Order: sequence, then C-alpha cells, then structure tokens
Amino acid sequence: MSAPAFTLTAAPAPLLFAGFMTDDTQALAIGLRQRDPDLLDRLIEQYQQRLYRYLLFLTGNPPLAEDLFQETWIRVLERGSQYNGKSKFDSWLFAIARNLVIDASRRKKISSLEDLGDPETNTPYDPPDERANSVLQMLVSRENEQSVQLSLLKIPAYYREVLLLRFSEELGLEEISVVMATPISTVKSRLYRGLAALKTAMTGGAA
Amino acid sequence: MNDNLHARAQRLLAESAVEGLRPADETWLRDHLAECPGCVQEASATRNVLHALRTVPVNVPRDLAARTQLRVRLRAQEVSTAPNGSFWLWAVTAASWLLGVFSAPLVWRGFAWLGSNFGVPKLAIEMGFVLWWTVPPLLAAAIILHQKALTAEWRNKN
Repeated sequence: MSAPAFTLTAAPAPLLFAGFMTDDTQALAIGLRQRDPDLLDRLIEQYQQRLYRYLLFLTGNPPLAEDLFQETWIRVLERGSQYNGKSKFDSWLFAIARNLVIDASRRKKISSLEDLGDPETNTPYDPPDERANSVLQMLVSRENEQSVQLSLLKIPAYYREVLLLRFSEELGLEEISVVMATPISTVKSRLYRGLAALKTAMTGGAA
Repeated sequence: MNDNLHARAQRLLAESAVEGLRPADETWLRDHLAECPGCVQEASATRNVLHALRTVPVNVPRDLAARTQLRVRLRAQEVSTAPNGSFWLWAVTAASWLLGVFSAPLVWRGFAWLGSNFGVPKLAIEMGFVLWWTVPPLLAAAIILHQKALTAEWRNKN
C-alpha cells in the first residue's frame, strides 16, 4: 500500500505575542503600569479579533461580547500594575475577559454560560438560546457557515472555550490552565473530550 | 488488523493535536497510517477539525476598536485627574493616630480629672478612652468602604 498523503498534525507550539518576547513583556508591564494610552491603543488594535472572537463564542451574544470587550480593556487600564511581565500578556488578558464573562453570567443569568464550570459537578448543558445563535451566525463567515462555527455552538461551553483557547488562540496547555484557573490535567481531559464532541457535532451527531 | 491498534492510533491522533507525540509514538503512528485507510480517514477528519478551528473567522464590528480606545482614553483621563481621595484619607488617619499616641497621657489625665470632679464611674472613663482610640480608624474604614461601593455602583451604571 502506498503511503497516504498525510502529515501528522503536531500540537502547535505556543505562539508568543509578536514583538513581546521576554524583554518586551517587561516593557509592556512598565507601559501598563504607567497607563500609557498609546500602548493601550496598539494592544486594542492588535488583540481585537482574538479577544472579540473568544468573547463572542463564549457568550453567543454579540452585544454582550462588545460590552465585555470594552470592559476588559478598562480593566487592563485600571489593573495594569498587576501585570508583572513574567507571564504572557495573552493569558493575563484572556483571564480578565473570562472573569468578566463569569461575572456577567452571574448578574444576567445567561444560560449558555452557566456551564463554564466543572462539567463533573455542574448541571447538564443548556444550549444557547436560538435568537442569540441566529445573530451569531450572521457574524461568522458565510463560506464556512455549515462547518465548525455552527458545530462549536452545539457543544458545551466548557469544551468550546478550551478548544478555542488551544487551537484558535494557540495558547499552551499551561497558559490555558492559568486563564481558566484549572489544573492542566483538567484542561487536557476537556480538550480530548471537546475534540471528540466537536468531531461528532461536525459529522451531524449530537455532542 | 487488531482493534486495539486502531484504538491506539486514534488515541495518538488526538494526543498529537493536544499535547504532541513522543518520537517513538510518532513513528508508530506514521507506520500504522501507511497501512490503514480507516485511520487515515480518521486522521483526515481530525486535521479538518483543527484546520477549521484555527481559521474560525469572526467579523469584528468595524468601530469596536475605535470606541474602545476612546472609552479607555476617557477612563485614563478620569483616573489621572481624579483627586487621590484615599491618599488623603490615609494621611489624615495616620496623623490622627500619631496625635493619639502622643496625646494619650494628656487624654488619660483629662478623663481622670473628669472622673474625679464629676463622679463618672471608672468603667465609663475606660470605655471613653477606648472609644477615643477606636472611633477615628473605624470612621476611616467606613468612608473607604462607602467610597468603594459608590465607585462600583457608578461602574455598573456606565
């Protein structure tokens, strides 16, 4: 049998924020401590796609994702002094955003977010409401409408989140565990189950 | 082919996506895939899912970044121009504490004089002395908590 045209998909190496390697994260920390408005402008520009996508897929609600996007950057401004430059800025940013999503879900009882906690101890998955989904569908690219975006919405939020952080945002396992304040073993198990659930959802089965 | 081999191949395919593989496992998987069309199909499905996840496109609202930048700049101005209320509060508290320490002998004598001249019970005098020390920091703490509550309320409204 001839060798199939298949290349192994290695786990993506954690990508560091372009231009902000070790020394630069220190510079970034200093800029944030000084509340440098030009630096914040640049960061907002640079991270808009990644942060908005994360918030949108987590909440399933575009207006709420926009509010949380703005609130995240206000927090970055106010709490910039807490970023020490020793960890990646991405992880710190996503952790802030995640905490705001959790706060919002507590305040507004968003059904799709109630299952961000531990699936083993929480109530069963409650899918996002139809209206939020239809608005979300309008925002995602038309060309792949039938594929991953819609399938992502069919799987529980705790899987959706970890898959996005790992494969869309390309964070490392350790960074994800920092963002989610969860042990790495939990991150791994959610990734394995999430991948299986997503594959099932993409082939038309229930997650 | 043994079912266990397919199960192992599928487990390694997932592992390669999540954690990466050890060289020995990678070689084994490559060899297995060269002989197993079923697992190649599975590998292809995994690869498609990962590719789709890595390229999830989302249209960011056009002015979202600009609106956020404006809001952040306004907030930065507020933060930099707002009087540092807690600094002064702490300064006043520290000053009152120092004054309390150095004036303690005089205050004690004052309470003693009141007690001897007006027949105030000893317990009341001691209580008064304790209150003289504790009321200022308690008041300061109450003001700080009130300020924080007001700030949080303002943020929630905006």
